[in-house]
Amino acid sequence: MSAEEHSSGGGTVEYIQHHLTNLCAGDCDPVTHKAAGFWALHVDTLFFSVLLGALIVFVSWRLGRRLSLDAPSGFQNLVESIIEFVQGQVKDTFPGHNPLIAPLALTIFVWVWLMNFMDLIPVDLLPMLAGAAGVPYLKVGPTTDLNTTMAMSLTVFALILFYNIKVKGVVGYLKVFLFHPFGKFFIPVNIVMTAIEELAKPLSLGLRLFGNLFAGELVFLLIALIGGTLAVGAMGYLFWFPLQIVLDLGWLIFHLLVITLQAFIFMVLTLVYLGMAHVEDH
Amino acid sequence: MPPAKGAGLVMVGVGTILTSMIAAGFLLGYAVDSWLDSRPIFMLVFGGLGAVGGFLKVYKLLSRNI
Repeated sequence: MSAEEHSSGGGTVEYIQHHLTNLCAGDCDPVTHKAAGFWALHVDTLFFSVLLGALIVFVSWRLGRRLSLDAPSGFQNLVESIIEFVQGQVKDTFPGHNPLIAPLALTIFVWVWLMNFMDLIPVDLLPMLAGAAGVPYLKVGPTTDLNTTMAMSLTVFALILFYNIKVKGVVGYLKVFLFHPFGKFFIPVNIVMTAIEELAKPLSLGLRLFGNLFAGELVFLLIALIGGTLAVGAMGYLFWFPLQIVLDLGWLIFHLLVITLQAFIFMVLTLVYLGMAHVEDH
Repeated sequence: MPPAKGAGLVMVGVGTILTSMIAAGFLLGYAVDSWLDSRPIFMLVFGGLGAVGGFLKVYKLLSRNI
C-alpha cells in the first residue's frame, strides 16, 4: 500500500488526493492534474465506462446465442430475473406504452450498477497496477466522477424534454411553464418556478448518484489508511490491521446495498420523470 | 400525475429534490445574471424561488401519499 510510505498527515492527504484525481488528457492543469478547460478528457472514466458498456453488449450477445428454453443455464436464469424485475418496475411506474423505455431502464440499471461496482474493487489494486505500467493517476469508479453522472442525467433530461414536446406538443409544454404551479395570475413566477423544477430533475439525478458513490469511495480510502498509516510496530499489526479488515468488510457489504439502491433509484426516477412527460394532463 | 407506486418511489429522493431545487434556482439566476450583468439580484431571487418551490414540491409529495 502506498500509504505505508508516508507517516505524516501530509502523506495521508496526498494519498487521498492522489486516489481522487482522474487521469486527465487534453486541457489539464499541469500541476494539480485537474481539468482546466472544456476539452479536458478524463481518460480513466471514459475507458472504464466504455469497457463496462462493451462488457454488457458482449455478455448479452453471447447469452443471446445460447438461449435455451428447455434447460436454461444459471446465468440465463439470473439475467431473466433481472429483466423481469426491470419489466415489473416499468409496468408499475410507466403509464402507456413506449418500446424505448424498458430497454433504456434495463441499460441504465445494469450499466450504473456495474460502474458503481468498480468502487468495491480494493482501492489500491488497479491504481497500483496502472502505476507499475507507467500511468500516474487512475480513478477506477466512473460514477465517482461528476462528468459521468451528469452526462447520464442530462441524456435523460434530453429525453424528458423530447417526450414532453412530442406528447404535449410545443404549445402544451409551454402551457405547463405558463400556468403551473400558481395559476394564470402569476405567469412570470410560474415560468421561473417551472424552469427551476425542470432543471432540478437532472441536477438531483446526477448529484445523488455522484454524491453517494464519491462518499463511498472516500470511506474506502479512509479505511485503507487505517492499516497504512497507523500500523506501526506489533500493536499496529495486532490491532489496526484486523480493525481495517473488519471495517472494510462491513463497509463493503453495506456499500453493496448502496450501489444497488443507487442504480435502482436512478432507473426508477428516470422512469417516473419520463412517465410524467408522457402524461397529457400535468 | 404519476401512478401511486411511482410516486411512492419518488419519496426516496425527496431530500435531494429540495436541495437540487434550491441549487437549480441559484444556477438559473447565475445564468440570467451573467447574461444581464446584474449579479447578485437574480441569483438571490431565483434561489429564494427555488427554495419556496422546493418546499412546496416536498409538501405536495409528502401529503399526497399519506
